[in-house]
Amino acid sequence: MDRDEPDMNTALMVDGNAVAGQLEQIFGRDMTMTIARCAGCARDAQLGALMAFIRGPGVVLRCPACQNAIARIVETPSAIYLEARGAAYLRMTPQG
Amino acid sequence: MAGLISRGFLGRRRPAEVENRLPPGQYLVTDFPVLSAGPTPHTPLERWSFTVEGLVGSPVTWSWEEFQKLPTQTYTVDISCVTKWTKLDTRWLGVSIDTLLKAVQVDPAGRYVMAYSDGGYTTNLPLEEMVNGQAFVAYQFDDKPLDPVHGGPARLVVPHLYFWKSAKWIRGLRFMERNQPGFWESLGYHIHGDPWKEERYSGD
Amino acid sequence: MVQPVLEWQAGRVTAIRPETRQTKSFTFALPKWMAHRPGQHYDVRLTAPDGYQTQRSYSIASPPERLREIELTVERIPDGEVSPYLHDVLMQGDELEVRGPIGGYFVWDVRLGGPLLLVGGGSGVVPLMAMLRHRAAQHSTVPTRMLYSSRSAEDVIYHDELDGMAAASDGFEAFYTFTRQPPAGWTGYRRRIDAAMLAEVIKPFDKRARVYVCGPTLLVEAVANALVEMELPIEQIRTERFGPTGV
Repeated sequence: MDRDEPDMNTALMVDGNAVAGQLEQIFGRDMTMTIARCAGCARDAQLGALMAFIRGPGVVLRCPACQNAIARIVETPSAIYLEARGAAYLRMTPQG
Repeated sequence: MAGLISRGFLGRRRPAEVENRLPPGQYLVTDFPVLSAGPTPHTPLERWSFTVEGLVGSPVTWSWEEFQKLPTQTYTVDISCVTKWTKLDTRWLGVSIDTLLKAVQVDPAGRYVMAYSDGGYTTNLPLEEMVNGQAFVAYQFDDKPLDPVHGGPARLVVPHLYFWKSAKWIRGLRFMERNQPGFWESLGYHIHGDPWKEERYSGD
Repeated sequence: MVQPVLEWQAGRVTAIRPETRQTKSFTFALPKWMAHRPGQHYDVRLTAPDGYQTQRSYSIASPPERLREIELTVERIPDGEVSPYLHDVLMQGDELEVRGPIGGYFVWDVRLGGPLLLVGGGSGVVPLMAMLRHRAAQHSTVPTRMLYSSRSAEDVIYHDELDGMAAASDGFEAFYTFTRQPPAGWTGYRRRIDAAMLAEVIKPFDKRARVYVCGPTLLVEAVANALVEMELPIEQIRTERFGPTGV
């Protein structure tokens, strides 16, 4: 491993683009451009730009500014759980 | 979730020679996968502390220096992650929960524990499954200081349950009356998490 | 406009082409192909006979002008689960389950205009290549610069094609930087992308640039932070982090 590589955990972090397919299955539309307002620091970011931790038991999407957990997703064989208390709101353009 | 079988894709291994050591549905790995719910916290050791609180007579806190002075043990254990990998014979050095509990008086009502970590992660356990050598707070892995990406400076290790219960970056244990669900338990994962009974998801 | 439901389909491998020693491009004929936007990706799913499944996302390398098929360029990760299978086992004629096209955030097409700065590291160049191939197919002259970081000359994916595009004098310029072994006689950049390098490359575009950054997470973080420090409006920066791999 590179001596410049500070942290494998940070290196493993991706962004909301990595869960775009999963989000589209849940919401029935592309969600990467949907804006989330962080309930922690009130900054806005598109879901595609959120920090994403995808290798654990579930997905955690975090605010790039304050690292607060904005949303969590778990897929079990029989259910999909989505928790987004870390988002003050999600804002998207109307479709249809 | 059926899928088109991919010609020549064999998936992961359950080698025959260790078959009886792998819980159901698990596969053997020889590396140490890094899985996290958040960025690596980097609490400097001068600011690190470990606390036992909640339904106890009086809470106790150890600084890193004080924690290092507690008696330790070495452990060689198998660990199983709910994401289906199992790693055999992992070696740790740490402080047994039994040792920590000698410093406090746990209220009889305090039958459950919420382990909490830097970064906000939590996981719940029954006290009776943490005592008698079943759980420890580890700060060395494979004879080296525990790497931050694997939970260093210190993490909880509870080898008989799925590894999400072995909270990385642990900072304390809070004793409580009811078995409240932690970070993953509140979002579809099993409240107990025994790999030998395949208790992965709530409802299993 | 109602979007079709995202569903898995069986793509048939019609071509496999080595690009560099670590990367190959795979062409899949899709029965339910739909035109994608450059920058989007497909999810690929493998299923073992015992039911074990694993999934990865790969950026589409081909432009939407190439009909009824997609090309994915994949880097072989030595300890990986999916890329070694694609490189070592998959053959022409095999079927692979794919789902897509996915993603609306990290996309560019000629309607969005420029000036355009594409910054890529390693296999991060793949979605940027889809953008460039689309740009060429549309005969666009949108001023475009690419800054591409690789370990060595042998690791530059699409090298000949990029040289060809640059030689076309249609407003596209390519800048390379090498982090391990530059080619013999190289007088260009030979270090990781940093703020000084970005400042030089972005100079003619200044704060008007639309920037797309893709590659290993640490590279994307460093570049995005540097662009923000340069006061490039954040709405003009789009990022896609691929996770670890050193460049």
